[in-house]
Amino acid sequence: MGTEEILFDVVIIGSGAGGAPIAHTLAKAGKSVLILEKGPLFLPQYDSSNGISDFRRDELYSDSFEKIITIPGVENKGASYYSSHIEPDLNDEPHIYVGPDGKDRATIEGYTAQAAGGGTQLYGGVSLRFSPLDFKLQSFNADRNDLLHDPDGDVKKNARDWPISYDELEPYYTKTEQLIGINGERKNQQKPFSNEGTYQPPLKPNEISKYAKEGMKLLGAELDGNDPIQPYRTPLAVITQDHAPSGRKVPKDPELAKTSFVNRFGDPLGLKSSTWAALLSPIKNLSNFEIRCNCIATRISCQNAKAQRVYYYDPSGKERYVEGKIIVVACSAIESTRLLKLSAQVDQEFDRRINQNDLLGKYFLTHCFGGASGIMPDRVDKSKALDADWATDCCAVENFLHDYHVWAGAAIYNNTSDQALPISFLRTHGAQDLDTLWQGFKFNRSLKAQGLIDFFDNQFGKGLSVSYMGNQLPQKENRIELHPAIKDKWNRPVAYIIKNWHPHDRYLMDLMADQCGKILRYGSKSFGGSFNFLGQGSIYNAENALARMANHILGGARFGNDRSDSVLDRNCRAWDFDNLYITDGSFMPTSGGANPTHTIEANAFRVADHLLTII
Amino acid sequence: MQGLINYYYRDDQYILNHCTKYLVRSNKDSRHHYLPDAPNQTSDNICEGWRFPIIDAYAGGCKAVEDPNNFYNYNEVTFIYDAGEMSLKSLEILGTFNNLINPVPLEPAYFAKEPTRFYSVTFVVPKNQMHTYRFQVDGKYQCDPINSHIVKFDNGEIWSALFTDLYSQPMAFENWELVILYRLLEQIVPFRTESAETFLNQFYNYLDRSDKEMKYPHVYRLDDSVGEINFIDNLLMRQERHRLRDYKICLEIIDSIIKKRAPLQDPAKVSKEIFIDLYDQMSANQVPDWDYNRYSNPQFFLDLLRRHAVTAGFSHPKYGGNTGAAGWVYLQSRYKDAEGNTLFDWTQALEQPLGSNPNYHA
Repeated sequence: MGTEEILFDVVIIGSGAGGAPIAHTLAKAGKSVLILEKGPLFLPQYDSSNGISDFRRDELYSDSFEKIITIPGVENKGASYYSSHIEPDLNDEPHIYVGPDGKDRATIEGYTAQAAGGGTQLYGGVSLRFSPLDFKLQSFNADRNDLLHDPDGDVKKNARDWPISYDELEPYYTKTEQLIGINGERKNQQKPFSNEGTYQPPLKPNEISKYAKEGMKLLGAELDGNDPIQPYRTPLAVITQDHAPSGRKVPKDPELAKTSFVNRFGDPLGLKSSTWAALLSPIKNLSNFEIRCNCIATRISCQNAKAQRVYYYDPSGKERYVEGKIIVVACSAIESTRLLKLSAQVDQEFDRRINQNDLLGKYFLTHCFGGASGIMPDRVDKSKALDADWATDCCAVENFLHDYHVWAGAAIYNNTSDQALPISFLRTHGAQDLDTLWQGFKFNRSLKAQGLIDFFDNQFGKGLSVSYMGNQLPQKENRIELHPAIKDKWNRPVAYIIKNWHPHDRYLMDLMADQCGKILRYGSKSFGGSFNFLGQGSIYNAENALARMANHILGGARFGNDRSDSVLDRNCRAWDFDNLYITDGSFMPTSGGANPTHTIEANAFRVADHLLTII
Repeated sequence: MQGLINYYYRDDQYILNHCTKYLVRSNKDSRHHYLPDAPNQTSDNICEGWRFPIIDAYAGGCKAVEDPNNFYNYNEVTFIYDAGEMSLKSLEILGTFNNLINPVPLEPAYFAKEPTRFYSVTFVVPKNQMHTYRFQVDGKYQCDPINSHIVKFDNGEIWSALFTDLYSQPMAFENWELVILYRLLEQIVPFRTESAETFLNQFYNYLDRSDKEMKYPHVYRLDDSVGEINFIDNLLMRQERHRLRDYKICLEIIDSIIKKRAPLQDPAKVSKEIFIDLYDQMSANQVPDWDYNRYSNPQFFLDLLRRHAVTAGFSHPKYGGNTGAAGWVYLQSRYKDAEGNTLFDWTQALEQPLGSNPNYHA
């Protein structure tokens, strides 16, 4: 062993949404904290030794050069793929999913980014709270007999209330909004806010969003003429004013944050509130805080109920270990489940405790999502945008759920930076997701010479998409396993993702996609001019629908009050361990009707406060 | 820059950030071998070996180049040597970027106060240059085991090679291949239409002379539109070298088809219709006289060429295409509102001197 420190109060695996709030809280309270981060320490300009960030405004960073799948035994061997500079290489570390034909395929979906800050480096920053209903979908649906497309009562069987209520998490939503640095509007959100002033003011919306705003108003009025639900500026994890808690300053003109290099781009200026910029950079010089990057945790061992050692490969590939009084796993749900299963494979005691029931890896969740897109009458400059401008909760409230016989709701918001830049405009044409980039362009062979110019003339700067993000029905058979044959570059079995949509999910998705379509149609009609509706749909319509996750990786280690019915207790502690916690999205028993990062961070802050009471 | 030391050593974190993901593994399978020939033991288990040596932005730190106004004309080139399990007595690099006389030592990056297996040295090298180099490992010469770009000299010596951003001399293609490529691309790229060509001529003529020399050194090769061929040439020597084979085979097949269809004519001067017909046939995947034994899917090659061509036209100029941002400027000037303000203000986000953003550096 070397001369590095081995013993810590807290060892955290992963520096993203689930790990960083805990590191921040405990380090500031004087505890010795170590983060093991698999990815590189890529920094914003102001943290970098030479003033240059490793994140660039360069479209060949977000989806890079062609690589080809070489993994033997997968159906899409030989297929091209394009990944971000901070996503893992699929040939080295694939995720494998089971396709609709029952055959295995490799996919880039399901990987949040691997770098300090995790997925929060690449995400678009949409920071919606879950609704109060999202926390109690079992109780809400217990006496309902009106749900459509659920003949076997699967909602009632599988929905679970969270062991914490919205009200309990609410102060932590407030804390997250303040500490992370989120801009948005509180007014018109259909959730209680104890503190009305947590958001920084939003920047000017992109011109294209006017159609979405109007359409959302009209939809709200259609759904409830008496008390129409109005849209609000989408909360985004991007600072628009100097942010005292993290010490970040905005440019003289804060509007310059709108570059459309947002979703799938790390921010060289640190205006996007990644967990590095917001929570870890401010504590990086504390003597009791350390982050070891380029270090992959490989297994955790235990001594009876005490999780004891985290073994990892250092940046050279040399095996080392550290020990923590508390061990927190937060490397994003698929990889966390995988790490725990791999640990169980080589340690019988660990196996006995983490698998005290059969739920580890089960009830894996993503989101029902999709939307509608169209070509608006007027061209705007979409290169000056953030990720989303307007949102509405009109499809998340009780009345809507009852009127339309769905078990849970969805947030709706319009995207603004999508297809704003020329290469992304071409490579996402007709392509539903990360696994099929360039496919639409490839098959549309009219896209050449004058045809290419015509395509730009007709669509560049004119596209508008409205998306929904809805709860997915938990099903036990949706699960993460270890693949029986395929191994990563470390000879460790890779994650095997087995999941399917429930008929009620499909119904919910069609319903929500339809609302998004209405928003587009109503919005454009109210402004007049020619409007070209491109279509509406959901991920289950996509070619690799069973893989598509939008990088919302949830469940697999759900928390609860009943040890026989959950993997974690209400504080995210693995039941049969004294000191092992899982705080990435794994803990969710239901996926929420909104993007998960904000809730993962809020919950991590909550768990951090709990940890302070026990160490 | 002569006489001044033009190298230094980057911090440990930078080196490890750029090594671990690509070079470290315990499984030695050739997972990164894409070609039909036999895999190479060393290089085919390296992920994205094209990233080495690391060509990055230069932001100061070297006495040889101290004027910040000059930084943008240079790249920082970091050479990495992975010693693996070996313990080396000496490790140096010899290269044309450093007068080929004095080998320069590499130093290990540290983790937890211990030296790791990764050695590095960083040079400041002007953009638009190609260089050759070798490592000297315990006194013996060795090409770079990670970077597969090599050059064979007339005296039989094999050296490793690298090229910096904006490199504008063809590396992958001979002149006859460039001619065919140029004629094919005529069918694909948006900038060869009449109106776009008018725009381009105005754009290049408008450029200030000093700008032309500094930023757009190969603008004078106006037959290359916005540098699509240059981009493709660079790409096939680096990030997508597995596709060079597709080009080599298909360009040769196409050359022989053209010669058959227009005998005794210079392909550079053959009528446009010949290429239009060929293009349409390739697009339909039905090409008379195509050698399907050598390459089974001409349509696939066309699709590859299309993806490369559009990426060339609109990617950051550092990759060799979108010369002087001509592709972006084309969109910027084509799309305006009623008041004449552009609806694609790309300069706002990008770094100076290319763009106008005062805060973002690259």
